[in-house]
Amino acid sequence: MTSAIGTTKQASGVTTPQRPRRAARRLDVNKATMLALIAPSVVLLLLINAYPLVSAANQSLHNGTLISSGSFVGLDNYRSVLTSPQFWQAAEFTLIFTIVGVFGSWAVGLGLALLLQTDIPGRSLLKVLLLLPWVVPIVVSATSINYLVATPSSPVPSLFHALGLGAPLFLANPGWAKVTVCVYKIWVSFPFMMLMASAALSSVPDTVYEAAQMDGAGAVARFRRITLPMIARPTYISWILMTIFCVNDFPTIYLLTGGGPISATTTLVVLAYRTVFQNFLVGPGVAIAFLMTLALVVVSVVLYRQIRKAAFH
Amino acid sequence: MAEMRDSNHLSRRGFLGVGLGAGAAAVLAACSSSGSSGKAASGGSGGTMKFWDMPWAAPAYNTAAQKLVASYKPASGLPSATYQIIQWANFTETFAAAVASNTGPAVSTGGGFQAFQYAQQGAIAYADHLIQTFKSNGTYDDFLPGQVEAMKTPAGYVAVPWQLDIRVWWYNKPIFSKLGLTPPTTWDEMESVGTTLAKHGYYGFGAGMGAGNFIGQHIMVMMMINNGGGLFNADNKLDVVTPRNIEAMEFVQRLAKAKIIDPASVSYTTDTENAQWKSGKFAMGINTGALDIGAGITDGSVAPLPGPLTGPHGDKACLVFQNNIMMYKNTPSQAGSEAFTAWYIKNMSTYWKQNLLSGLPVLKSIVATPQFQQQTHLDAAVKNWLPYAKNYAATGNVLSPSLAKVDGSQQLTAFAQTMLGGGDPKTALQTLQSSLQPLFA
Repeated sequence: MTSAIGTTKQASGVTTPQRPRRAARRLDVNKATMLALIAPSVVLLLLINAYPLVSAANQSLHNGTLISSGSFVGLDNYRSVLTSPQFWQAAEFTLIFTIVGVFGSWAVGLGLALLLQTDIPGRSLLKVLLLLPWVVPIVVSATSINYLVATPSSPVPSLFHALGLGAPLFLANPGWAKVTVCVYKIWVSFPFMMLMASAALSSVPDTVYEAAQMDGAGAVARFRRITLPMIARPTYISWILMTIFCVNDFPTIYLLTGGGPISATTTLVVLAYRTVFQNFLVGPGVAIAFLMTLALVVVSVVLYRQIRKAAFH
Repeated sequence: MAEMRDSNHLSRRGFLGVGLGAGAAAVLAACSSSGSSGKAASGGSGGTMKFWDMPWAAPAYNTAAQKLVASYKPASGLPSATYQIIQWANFTETFAAAVASNTGPAVSTGGGFQAFQYAQQGAIAYADHLIQTFKSNGTYDDFLPGQVEAMKTPAGYVAVPWQLDIRVWWYNKPIFSKLGLTPPTTWDEMESVGTTLAKHGYYGFGAGMGAGNFIGQHIMVMMMINNGGGLFNADNKLDVVTPRNIEAMEFVQRLAKAKIIDPASVSYTTDTENAQWKSGKFAMGINTGALDIGAGITDGSVAPLPGPLTGPHGDKACLVFQNNIMMYKNTPSQAGSEAFTAWYIKNMSTYWKQNLLSGLPVLKSIVATPQFQQQTHLDAAVKNWLPYAKNYAATGNVLSPSLAKVDGSQQLTAFAQTMLGGGDPKTALQTLQSSLQPLFA
């Protein structure tokens, strides 16, 4: 006989909790099964992610070379990196590059997504064409940009000259090189932001806009009070992703300027690469990479909190 | 339930077992693959060994090299050789990963200072025995003077030289002819010619220091060497801020201010720089010994100057990189590595006979071939420039692992860009000294 609480009353009259024990055993078996099922994935993930991470962390605490681990130096590599002017110069440009890259591409992407919401002629074709900067391999587009701006007689400097705007050295002047790299980053990234914004905008019900319009809200008010808040979550997600893309963007810088002139466009990821593979200082190079990761985690956590707030509202 | 358990049924535990088994097998396979590849490479009677080579010239070179290596017939019991091209892009990582995991080559070409670097890290098999063999069979005497000894370190010969990458001055003959200019022989003449060229819209100090282009670094070092200076002192210590170097860089600064240097050249990639030479915008400047081949200038319009320029103190010099073939400790047979390297050195003349390489040969016997002498620019480089050539170690004379850290470094790149842009020489040299110093700590 089974009671409501799952105990079994035996002939002797002694009540034993057999059902829960069996259930608990089954639960244990299920747990073990589940653990065993996910074990191969966990092992693979550990091999693919954790092992290199731990290995890299270990390298950042040693003064090794590319083929040997070297001796333990504690936090010396971090100390030397954090006291190096090159690191802070690269950190400053990384910050500029990221802020301009994220918000520049977001502004352009959102603007174009809003434009594509309207019934403009050739909308489908325009959508495809606007995706091209994102689709074309970086090597190809960087080479094209180089052709357009590299020499004083290249098309863009020639155009500037013809318009009486002087003959700027877009890649040779440190200031202009920074501008060129940032503009190029916006150009290659806005299609991604446009796609994210388009998807977000399509989820905003028309009825909300209609109601606001009936209440007398103008276009600007509707954008500020309805559109922006309602696409806030996907916007924060796109910012997180683009921040990661910008901070880790190696090919854009390396192909376009190589980090120059005079290190003006060197970002942290380029500095880390050069430190490891050109100066052969593995420990400091990996330490730079770890500091970058730390910064990215902080930024991501802050933005995730914003997402949660947006969800709550 | 029992009847459902036929032979095809896979129980939950069975499935898990298979899954875990497969995962473990994959992991074991992954772990063991690196360790066993060296052995896998050595099969057959003497097995095989890996020879890694770089794209030293147009693809036809690598095709010929592959064919040459395939024709290698080792003595009984020694391994044959396999040929693999390693691209220059990220070659440092490729070699480092392979050497660290014992999956690297037994013999390779590579970066000019790579052998010194790996020797310091214990991965190189010294070539002392091979050099001794060369001395006994006469091959040693066939090398151009000083080339083999340049590979010597206190611990032994780290490699065997096989070709030279030289930097020389070039000029555009039709433009010089049009403007009635004669090729300069001194720095003063060069400046004067450059000024005339600049007045006519040409640049007399063609250079490039953009992404992936390191010629600008070489040009600056060559200018220092040409003035009796260099990055190192006679004791082989880093010593950049010297009166001769300052004077050389002041000369470069003058050229920049007089618009003899293209102000955009700091950002020129190799392709852009070559395009400037091809279009004639660059009418004079320092480049590799095979600018005509590299830039695709096939009409004979560019030619090397008759010889190195004479500096203000009478110094004459140019820069050379002594590329070499190195042997690694990770080999199926050291005797096999040495036998292959000796055979390769003996048979590499085919590259120059077929006009496939832009580097200069290191063997007198190749220089003497009619096929090489028909390559007038390379032949002129050997006869008129090579006797004055110095390497990166100047004014010291010992190649070392540290040079790998300097050549191509961001510090030297920033310095060259500063100078091409007309920056202050002394400040730039001081910055270079202080930024390079930690690499030698």
